Amino acid sequence: MSRQPEEPIFNRIEELRTEKGLSRQQLADAVGVHYQTVGYLERGEYNPSLSLALKIAQKLGAEVSELFSLTPFRKAKSNA
Amino acid sequence: MPRRNKIYWFEGVTEKGVKSLLNDENSKFTWLRSQRNRRVLVVLMSLGLALIASGSYWTSFKKQLNLDSEMEIIVFSIVAIFVLFSVVGGYSFLRISVRGLADAPDELLDERQIQIRNTSFRYAYLVMGYLVLFLMLLVIAGPRLELLGTDGPDASFLLISVMFIFASLPSMILAWREKDI
Repeated sequence: MSRQPEEPIFNRIEELRTEKGLSRQQLADAVGVHYQTVGYLERGEYNPSLSLALKIAQKLGAEVSELFSLTPFRKAKSNA
Repeated sequence: MPRRNKIYWFEGVTEKGVKSLLNDENSKFTWLRSQRNRRVLVVLMSLGLALIASGSYWTSFKKQLNLDSEMEIIVFSIVAIFVLFSVVGGYSFLRISVRGLADAPDELLDERQIQIRNTSFRYAYLVMGYLVLFLMLLVIAGPRLELLGTDGPDASFLLISVMFIFASLPSMILAWREKDI
């Protein structure tokens, strides 16, 4: 059986991280990864393991389903 | 009490050494981290390794160059020393440029780093397979080489080059492929 090309997974890590006022380094330290890995995750260039996804969700105070999705997230309403 | 610096004998690295490379502690070498500079380093390393390997065929080259014996020693020594030091230096720079990922133990890396490290080893294994095949063909069809021979073509240059290639291939592949490291 051949492996299908990886399906894109959309995420709101950057949005929730900035809302919480965390830097990439702070989030990386909190979940035990390198700060560049956070950049890869935010750009959707790397899909995390379930345990990492759960740690990120816990740190950002969100459910995994609020953080990751197979379909693009709707843009948050602007405050203006 | 300060924590002891753990030595990973099998990987040939220390905990402090790996952490210092991973955490940008040595900012002197950040210029090495751009993909362009890493690729330039890979090309230079490949050329250096090819030059070392060609030392095994020096006896054939020198006949074509028509050098007298004194000139031959001077040219050979200068080229050999320059190439060897460049490759040893290049190897160190290469390790720094990829943050020592290829040699780091799993427990010091995160899951993405482990994944890209493992992918680089997979490609390195494939390349090594082709390299061994090429060497076998060279031994069968190429000029006869002696190991540590005194007057004939000497295979030791080829062996040194192959050992360097085996040691540096995973880092070379990481350096070439990864966008940010």
